[in-house]
Formats: sequence, C-alpha cells, structure tokens
Amino acid sequence: MEILFFSLFNGILYGLLLFMLSAGLTLIFGMMGVLNFAHASFFMLGAYFAYQISQFIGFWPALVIAPLVVGVAGALVERYGLRQVHKYGHVAELLFTFGIAFVIEELVQMVWGKAPVPYEIPQSMKFTALTWQGMNYSAYRVFMVLISVGIFAALYLFLKRTRVGLIIQAALSYPDVVGSLGHNVPRIFMLVFGFGTALAGIAGVLGGNVLGTEPAMALQLGTIVFVVIVVGGLGSLGGALIASIFIGLLTNMAVSFDIPFRGFFEALGVSPEAMGTGKDLIDMTSSGISPILPYLLLVLMLIFRPRGLFGQRDV
Amino acid sequence: MKLHKLVPGLMGLLLMVSIPFSAYAADPVRIGLIEPFSGPIAAIGLEILDNFEFAIERINSKGGVLGGRMLEVVALDNAMNAEKTTQQVKKAIDRGIRFISQGIGSNHALNIIKQLDKHNKRNPDKAVLYLNHSAVTTAFTNELCSFWHFRFDANVDMKVAGLATQIGRDPSIKKIYMINQNYAYGKSFQAVGRRMIKERTNAELVGDDLIVPFGKVLDFTPYVAKVKASGADTVLTGNWGPDLVRFVKATAEAGLDVQFYTIYGGLPTSVNGYGVNDGMAVKIKQITEMHENDAHWTDRDNFESDYLSKYERSWYGERGRYILDMFVKALEKAGTDDPKAVAYALEGMTHPGPNGELLMRAEDHQIQMAMVISTIDDKAPRKMIYAGKNVGVGWKTDGWISRSEISQPTTCKMKRPA
Repeated sequence: MEILFFSLFNGILYGLLLFMLSAGLTLIFGMMGVLNFAHASFFMLGAYFAYQISQFIGFWPALVIAPLVVGVAGALVERYGLRQVHKYGHVAELLFTFGIAFVIEELVQMVWGKAPVPYEIPQSMKFTALTWQGMNYSAYRVFMVLISVGIFAALYLFLKRTRVGLIIQAALSYPDVVGSLGHNVPRIFMLVFGFGTALAGIAGVLGGNVLGTEPAMALQLGTIVFVVIVVGGLGSLGGALIASIFIGLLTNMAVSFDIPFRGFFEALGVSPEAMGTGKDLIDMTSSGISPILPYLLLVLMLIFRPRGLFGQRDV
Repeated sequence: MKLHKLVPGLMGLLLMVSIPFSAYAADPVRIGLIEPFSGPIAAIGLEILDNFEFAIERINSKGGVLGGRMLEVVALDNAMNAEKTTQQVKKAIDRGIRFISQGIGSNHALNIIKQLDKHNKRNPDKAVLYLNHSAVTTAFTNELCSFWHFRFDANVDMKVAGLATQIGRDPSIKKIYMINQNYAYGKSFQAVGRRMIKERTNAELVGDDLIVPFGKVLDFTPYVAKVKASGADTVLTGNWGPDLVRFVKATAEAGLDVQFYTIYGGLPTSVNGYGVNDGMAVKIKQITEMHENDAHWTDRDNFESDYLSKYERSWYGERGRYILDMFVKALEKAGTDDPKAVAYALEGMTHPGPNGELLMRAEDHQIQMAMVISTIDDKAPRKMIYAGKNVGVGWKTDGWISRSEISQPTTCKMKRPA
C-alpha cells in the first residue's frame, strides 16, 4: 500500500514536469492551430541560454532572462517565417517548424559544441525540502512543481477570464471579424507564439539541469510532449494537465510494480519454453517497456478517440 | 577545345592513374580511421581523430617507420550509421589502405570484422587488418574472433571483472544493485556482472534492472526508489550518456547513500553531464588503463602536457597512445607493411604499459593488462580539462587490478592464414 502512495506521489511530480514542457505547445496549437514541431528545440534553447546566463550572473536572473530571450526568438520566427508560410496551409507550417527544429539543433551545436554542458541545479535550492520513505525531495523539485501549477492557473485564468484572452480565442475562430473590430490579428498571433515559446523556455531553464543539457535533448523530449497534447486533446490546457499526470503515473507504476508478462502469456496458453525468438518478449517485465507506454497510449487514443480526452476537434 | 590545352590535363590524368601502381619507399603507411565525424556524436569521433594525429605526428617527427616512411591517418566518416561503415571499409580497400582502426559502436566493429574476413579470404594478397581501439563486445575475441582483428581495449567481461574485484576488496559493501541498458552491451554487462558478483565478492545482488536505452527514460525517480527500497549500498552500472547522467542526478537528489561503480562515469562528457556536486555525492568510480593522479603516472616525453596545450583538453585513455606504439613496433618487427606479417608480429607482443607489461594475447588477439579503479575527487591535484575548461574533478586511485585478475579465458578457435 505504501508503495502505491509513493509511486502516486512520484508520478504526479513527474507529470507536472511533463505538463510544464507541453503547456506552451498546447497553447500555440489551441490558439493558432499551428502544430509546432520545434517546441522542444525552444525548450533546449531555454536550457542553453540559462546555462550561459547563469555562468555570468547566476541562476535567478537566468530564470527571468532566458525565457524572455527565447520568447523574443519565437516571436521573430513567427513574424518573419511562420507568417509568410501561413497562407500555404497547415502542412506548410508543420514542415516549416520541422525545419526550424533542425536549424536550432545545428546552431546549438555550433555555439556550445556537441558534448553536454555542465548546467547544474543552483546550490541554494539543493537543500532537502521533504523526505518520504527515505527519499529526499529537494527544494528545487518542489519549486518546479509550484511553477508548473502556477503556469496552469495563470494560463487558465488569462484565457478564460481576461479580455485579452477572449480576443485571442476569438481571433483563432473568426480572424476576419476580430480584425474588422480593429484588432491587429497577425500581431496577436505573433505574441501568442512568442508567449508559447517563452513557456518552453521556462521549462528549459528548470528542466535542463535535471534532465541534462545536450544537443540531443530536443529530439528526446520532442516526442513525449506530442503524446501529452494528443492524449489530452489538441489545444486543451486541462486535458494536457490530466494527460501529463496520467502518463507520469503510468510510467512510474510500471517501474515500481514491475509486473512480469510471463503470467499473462501463460494464461493465453503460450508456453514460454516452446517459443524460440519470442522468449525475450515473454521474459520482459512492465518496467522494461515503461518509456514505451505513453506511445502505446497515443496509438490507442488515436484509434478510439482521435480528439483526445478533452479535445474539441479531431487530430 | 584545342589539343594543346588538353595535353596538360591528360598528363595530369596519367600521373594520377600511375601513382597507385608505383611503390616508392617514401609512400606513407596509411591507417583508415572509421568513426562518426558528422552527426550528433561527431565530437567523440573528432577527438579520436585528434588523438591519432597527435600520436602519429610524434612518431613521424622521430623518423617515421620502416626506414623513413611516414604514418598517415585517413579520416573516413560513418556518421554513426553501420551501413556507412561498410561503405567506408570498401572505400578504404579501393584506395589501397591496408590498416583500419575503429572503436565507437560494437555494431560497426562487427560489420568491419565480418567484411574483412570475407575480403581477406578472397584477396589474400590485398588483406586488410583491423585495429580495434574501443569496441568492447566480448564476443569479438570469443566466438566471433578473427585473425584480422586486434583489440587494444579491455572487453566488457574484463572491465566488469575488474570492478567486481575491487568491490570484493571492500568488506563494507554488502548489497549491490545493477542497472543496465537493454541492448547487446548492457545485457552482456548484466550477464557477466551476475557471475562476477558471485565469484569475486561476498555481497548480495539485491536488484537487477534493464532499462530502455539511449535517453528514452526521462524520470529515474522510480528506479532510485527501487534502489532505496532494496537497501543497496552500491550501484554497479554500465550505463553511459543520458542514461547514466539522469540516474546519477536523480540518485544524488534523493540523497541516497550509495556509491556508483561504472565503466564510463569518468568520461569528461559524463562529468559535465551529471555535474561535479552530484558526481561527488554518489562517489562515482571508474575503471581505466591509467589516470593522471595515479602514483604510476608520468608525463613521458611531455606527451600529455603537449596534448593539453594543443587541444585544450586532458588526454583520456592510455590506449590511444600504445595502440600506435605497438603498431609501429609490429611494422618494424615484420620489416614490411604487409598486414598478414604485421598481424603475426602483433601476436604475443609485449609492450611496457602504464603499470606493468601489456600483452597482445595470441589466442584471441585481446590485449591483457592491469587496470586501475579510481574515485571522483574534487580535490585531486591534477583535474581534467575539457574544451578549454577545468571540469572541476580529477581521480583518486582505489586500487590496481592485476593483469591476471583482469584476464578472462577465451573460447576463440582462430583460423590463421598460411
């Protein structure tokens, strides 16, 4: 029973980190309809900028400056790139962001090299905030959770309760009407894209020193954030939160309980001894496939409910 | 085009065609180095190329080999794609290169071994020799052994045997947790780890996980929780890259009082990845041929200090040096650059190592040597430099594992050409 609560707890912590990674992506998709393939690349930029800035003036200024720089970079990409491509439709936009991802990866390698950089958690946040089952949880991890919850609350209130949020939502569905009411729709889109990438930047600042900052990080994280927003429902903030936590719990439980598949196969009447090459599969346990489970979930979701948990439209 | 304009071009063409057929005494002895020089891990490939060029420069400045011929390294990029490795081997053969070296990625090494076996059987007079500097899959000197392959690094079994021997010397170690990557290398680490823990330690194996490899696992907390629950005091792992970095970071954050016995924990890129503080917290240990703070270490001929000032990074891996020294010795002993003769000259060759004698065992072409276990140390007198920056740690010797303790029996039944 203890192990259940414990892995629930760990799963939620990890889920909130995942949400932080995917919040900006779901915002951009929800508001602009752009599936930003380069999202994880902006995350990586956030981590590298934070590393560089923290070398000079410390972590806390980096936490503010790095996301701003990433956000400005994102806004420029929208203004001078995506906006030109927009008229050719969603496929062109998708391919454009796909290309941007490669450009950013190359740029990062040119500036910071191909090896990991030593971006560490600030010493001031390393102290233990709470201890459970002999495991310490650092103040930094608690801080990450608070930021993640804060991002969710702020975004939710901003979009649903403020005038600007309502205009942004209207601009997606009825750009012509919003435009004729005197709002500068392209500028709204630019700001939304910039804001979304800045969120990726924040996640990069906070996640880069936990996951390791290296040029391959965008590639490793790029896929999991798509799982989150597809399972949650494209464009749904609440859906992304629930999907993140669900994936966090799923992967954590798979490792903690480590269910062997042998019994399952034997129940099906497959004798492990009779199998030749398939024996490895039968001898596997759930922890061996835990990182794959989110993708399995993605496939099942696309088959049975293509719009995701809370999505308003199909993928 | 007028004829008189064509003539110089034709002459040039004729000259180009004729060069490969002429055998001047001054022809360089070329080594084709097949590594990733582009793509995500090009940095490692390029460092190895630097190492070869640096060591070869020294050999050439002392007069080269075989009475004045120069050594030359030819960079052949495989972009970490095993198919490209095969193409590059073919290209090397076409260019008349008779010696190939490679080390990153055992699947690439396997391709080279198989390809050369076939080629050398069909073209005995144009045989090519493979000098393996770092690909560690044990099978290459066991059931897959080949006359045309020589390994200058200890294989996985030897390294795990070394780690287990050191663990056995520490009576405070009672419970070991093993974590490895679920692919050929990690699985062989696991298999030999299980055996060695039984044979060489009094400790109990309390956990034994395989993880999905290559950065797929983002959150290591559940694994750390399992290590904690098992009561392990020591982690034994072959993990490298993000699979090592994230595990170390998560363990350090959770405040577990464990120590890490690793193969690749001491690479400068690993230390940069997990960071000095977290590395110190879990007391990272590594097994190597040498490290700069060991009592046996000397900066022979200013080799390592010159390397440091030229490339702004510390020399890592003694084998990068002795692989070429032994190759040169074999060329001189054979008196020719004929690969078959060089191979026979390498068999059973001894060479002074960092601590004791190196032996290229004739039965399986696996180098035999003593190795050293060392612990990460932020107060070490000589710290590692990487990319012009002080990494912030060096290494402190725990103990040497003698050649006979490292040595493992072989199942190799080698077929030798007449």
